[in-house]
Amino acid sequence: MRSLSQVALCASLPLWLLACGAPTAEAPTEDTASEPAAEVAEADGDMGELEIRANGEDFVREGFVTKDGWEISFDHVYVTLDEVTAYQSEPAFDAEAGGMPEASVMVNTESPITVDLAAGDESADPVLVETLSAPAGRYNALSWKMVPAMAGDAEGYPIVMVGQAMKDGETIAFTLKLDPELVFVCGDFVGDERKGILDAGGKADLEATFHFDHLFGDAGAPPDDDINTGALGFDPLAAIAQNGVLDVDSAALSEQLSAEDYNLLLSILPSLGHVGEGHCSETQLTRS
Amino acid sequence: MHERNGLAIIGGSLLGAIALLAGLPPGARAHGVSVQSRTTNAVEIQAVYDSGKPMENAQVQVYAPDDPSTPYFVGQTDNRGRFVFAPDQAGDWEISVRQAGHGKIVVIPVESGGAIAETFTNDAGLTPLQRGVMAGAVTWGCVGTALYFRRGKV
Repeated sequence: MRSLSQVALCASLPLWLLACGAPTAEAPTEDTASEPAAEVAEADGDMGELEIRANGEDFVREGFVTKDGWEISFDHVYVTLDEVTAYQSEPAFDAEAGGMPEASVMVNTESPITVDLAAGDESADPVLVETLSAPAGRYNALSWKMVPAMAGDAEGYPIVMVGQAMKDGETIAFTLKLDPELVFVCGDFVGDERKGILDAGGKADLEATFHFDHLFGDAGAPPDDDINTGALGFDPLAAIAQNGVLDVDSAALSEQLSAEDYNLLLSILPSLGHVGEGHCSETQLTRS
Repeated sequence: MHERNGLAIIGGSLLGAIALLAGLPPGARAHGVSVQSRTTNAVEIQAVYDSGKPMENAQVQVYAPDDPSTPYFVGQTDNRGRFVFAPDQAGDWEISVRQAGHGKIVVIPVESGGAIAETFTNDAGLTPLQRGVMAGAVTWGCVGTALYFRRGKV
């Protein structure tokens, strides 16, 4: 995964004479993302509507070609999000520094919600997860858990991908049911526009973004790009398909993939969650 | 909204341009161009990947403290991942740096006069090598305002 490490700063006159001081990040605190919904903070002041959206980006809605040449199209990409929490963090939260946002105001969803990231065409808006009534202010941090779906086609799994992979005249119909539970803690949305700026009586949105190109790689990027060198691709999955069908869960993947490929798959999952282009910290799978 | 490009190049060549203009007789100034100069504080950032590789030609958006929605400066990093801007008000300036689908926003507190707040640190998690990659307040002497700041709307 290509990653912007840090943009650091210190005062100098002339250039570079003074090194930066000690880290400012607080030590990790309680995992607020796992606190019950009943502890949602209420703040004084006027309220607005804060939309929580989930976005699989064009890779999911339009399909893409993996690093190893498989043309992927998704029928469904189900993700189940729980305790999606928006924070007014002060200071601004740096996910790469770790810890949790320091927020006096936060709002969250109260029950697991399953959404299909592949819903809609390429022009569709990111999927609405829930609209929260929220105090006005700057929501500059977001966290969420990925938990097993309670019902429906994704029941029992936090992530289910259904689609087709095509290469050299071969078509594989795949259903990948992944069960690791994940917790993502993220800072401000990074993208073409700012998000989470909620005026009293107004509406704003935040976005949980999923980068599935990290899993499969992207033929549109150079082979030596980090997005490809760190990706699993689809070849290992195609190799375990039978009669053009691959319908597997994590247990089957663990048994049928090589240990190296399965561990690579597990290592990629914590990098799926983003806020736009901004990176998140995954605190559940990476802790186990 | 203000646009800046090629900062590393401008910084060096600009001083020469100012000195040249100052030495010209008034009659040599074509089309009534007037160039004034002042000394100002500027903030320089440098963006790098985990590997230490600079984020070359990355997209930069700078948001002033009084308007977090609309970029006040936009531009690109230079080939060393650097970008310079001159804050003109105190408060928290937010800088977004993005490239190839990945990015980061940092908040830089600026005091009156454009200096970075002494309390500011942003090196959490940096390795010693990365800590050497930093941004700083720089003072550019006799920088020509008309040349240094391109006031064109974007």
